[in-house]
Order: sequence, then structure tokens, then C-alpha cells
Amino acid sequence: MKTYKTDGQNRVIFSKDMKVAELVDADYSLLSILLRMDMQLPFGDLSVEELCRRYGISVELFLMICQVYSTADYLPDVESLKANDLKYVIKYLRASHRLYLGELLPSIGRGVERVLECCEKRQRDIVSNFYQGYCEEVRAHLEYEEQNMFPYVESLLECKMQPAASISQAMEHHTDICEKIDDIKSILIKYLPEECTLQQRYELLRDVYAMSEDLARHTLIEVKILAPVAARQEQILRR
Amino acid sequence: MKRYRVAIVEPSYIITEGLKTILAAGAEFEVVFTTSSWRTMEERWGVVRPDVVVVGTQTDCGSTLRSSAVDWHAVALVVLQTTVREEEWLRQADGVVNIYDDQHQIVQHLRRAVEQSETNPYNDSHELSEREQAVLVLVAKGLANKEIADKLNISVHTVISHRKNITHKTGIKSVAGLTVYAMLNGLIDV
Repeated sequence: MKTYKTDGQNRVIFSKDMKVAELVDADYSLLSILLRMDMQLPFGDLSVEELCRRYGISVELFLMICQVYSTADYLPDVESLKANDLKYVIKYLRASHRLYLGELLPSIGRGVERVLECCEKRQRDIVSNFYQGYCEEVRAHLEYEEQNMFPYVESLLECKMQPAASISQAMEHHTDICEKIDDIKSILIKYLPEECTLQQRYELLRDVYAMSEDLARHTLIEVKILAPVAARQEQILRR
Repeated sequence: MKRYRVAIVEPSYIITEGLKTILAAGAEFEVVFTTSSWRTMEERWGVVRPDVVVVGTQTDCGSTLRSSAVDWHAVALVVLQTTVREEEWLRQADGVVNIYDDQHQIVQHLRRAVEQSETNPYNDSHELSEREQAVLVLVAKGLANKEIADKLNISVHTVISHRKNITHKTGIKSVAGLTVYAMLNGLIDV
């Protein structure tokens, strides 16, 4: 059905005038974003601009998030965003947290258990402990964001300045949760015994790759959208 | 035989040309770039793609010889000693060439530095060397780089270079992940 526009290198040109159906057709992985934003199908001939109006999100932010997911090496230019857009950014990030904790991590956990069934107890314990440790780390990381970072940004939006805090400090606190998931990939692909069949590893790896890719984008949204816009707001409030 | 791409960063024209001539006599090393300033070296890094970087002690590169602005993977760093420099500074290098070394010694130092850097991309083995295994075991046991260096009697810089290789070969970055690797491969007991 391809009706969306592409540029010279066959990359999708995202615009507010394109239909939501075209957007999805251009990159079906964006369905996951629509789901997180609680945007319901069917869209008929609705344009992206109309969709954004309906759900109260700025079209600039919506397209930016889509491109973070869809275009490799895309670097958001936050010039066009307003401080108030951060409300939706946080809403989106929180929804992603729910997806990670409620679905992806448990699903990976089940996959790990299945794969490990064929291993010796010793190997099972080693890998299982590693995964548990990783889950704890992710949980702590997300909790820090929900309890500290997001409320701080929200207070900025209400024009309340907390003299002791800053977004750059909060970002420093921000641990790297992308690294270990890549380690999990290597261990699953390279170092588990042959008794674990590819069939067993396949679904698990699919989940792990999905989680890893999503986390990378999640981090990009935090570092390149949330943090700079919040820092700009801090500066305005300090004046 | 593989020819290594050499870049020379040295403010003295005489010394640069001298070293160039000496290396040109052999087939192993080819000087592909010379400059008097470290800054220029950094800017041209990606284009020059050096295998060996020779840095004179009088070069303007500050106290951290191994600048973090460039990718040192698979690059040997050799100091060309024309003046006295502190031990700590020299230790960052994979090799030291003295201005009074003869032709044979100079080539020898460069050759050894290449081996020392051990990030040789042409040695594409993914097996960990004995030394790397020893470092890995200590990493997994939770030792810091300095402690590992003391224990194995090598410099902290060499430990870091081993750790880079380990990560490159195993595809595992985190200490917890490396520990899993060490345990799965029976390098340490559970």
C-alpha cells in the first residue's frame, strides 16, 4: 500500500500531513509507540496532525519520537519543543517503564528459565543469578527516574525551582542499563552450552533484542530530549 | 608481510625526517603521516588510520598521553624520548624509543610495541590469551585495575589494554557479565 513519501536514500519523510496509516506502514514498529501512548485503532484517514490534536500531544514531539525509533543515527533538535511538551515526554517514558517491567523483563525471564532447563544446575544458577541481578538494576534505575527525576522535571514545569537539584545532577545518577543487556546477548549466543537449542534461544533472543533496542531509544529520549529541554527551563527560571 | 602505518608527532623537523629515513630502510613500517602538533594528529586520526603513533616527548599533548579524543583500539603508542619525562607519563606508552637508539633498536622497539598493544586486528583470534584469562579471573574476583597490575606485575595501562581485548573478544562489558563468562568457562569456581 506504500503511499508515504521517501527521500533520495529511500528513507521515510515524516510529516504532520501524512496519514497515521501511512506512518504505520512506513515502520510497523511505531505501533508500539501508539500503543504506549494509548492511541487506539482504527485511524481511517486520520492525519498525524489530527491524531496529535486528538490526544493532546504536540506534533513536533510526536514526530520526533517516531524518528528516534525509525531513523538510525537520528539526533533530535529540541529547538522546536516547548517546556510543556515534557509532560508528554514523561508520560511516554513512564509508559515505557510499565512495558519493560510488566511485559518485557518477565517475558525474558521466562525465556531464560526455559533455555536454562537443559543446562547443568551450576550453569543454571550462574546465568539465572546474573539475570536476576540485571532485573534488580533496571528496577532501581527506573524507580530512581520515577521517584526523583520525573517529579523534579514536573516541578520545573510548575515553575518551582529546587535550588539544590539540577537535571544534570539527576542525569549523572543515571546508571547505564544498556550495557548489561548486550552482555546477555553475547552470553546467550556465544557461551551457553549446545544443549540449549536455537529454537529455545530464538524467542528469548528476539525479546532481548527488542528490549535492548527499546532501551537505547529510551535513553536517547531522556538524554537528547528530556534533559536539554529541562536544562533550558532551569535557565529560564533562574533568570 | 603486513606494513604498519606509522604516524609521527614530533616538533623537530630533523628528528622527524631522521626517523622517517630509518623506518624507510625496512619494509615493516611505513610513515604515512607526520605533524608537529598533537592537535593536528587528533584531527586527522580517522583519515590517517595509524597502526603505530610515535610521539616525541616535547610534543604539546599534556599529561595524558593517551588522549580520550581518539580511538586507540588496535593502535600502538610509542614515545620518542628526546628529553627527560616523568616515569608515569612514559608508562602510558606501549614502547619507548630513545633518541640515541640505533636503527636496529628503533625497529625492535616499534615491533615490540605493536605486540604489546596486542589489539592487533590482524590477529583475529577470539580465544583469550593466558594473560587475558589471568586478568579476567582477577576482574571477576572484583579486583581494581591497580590491584590487578600489582598482582600480575604489569602496568595499569597494560591491564586496561587487556581488559579492552577481553571485552572485544567476548562481547561482554560489565564485570557481572565477565564473571558469568569466567564461571561458564570454568576459569573460576562458583
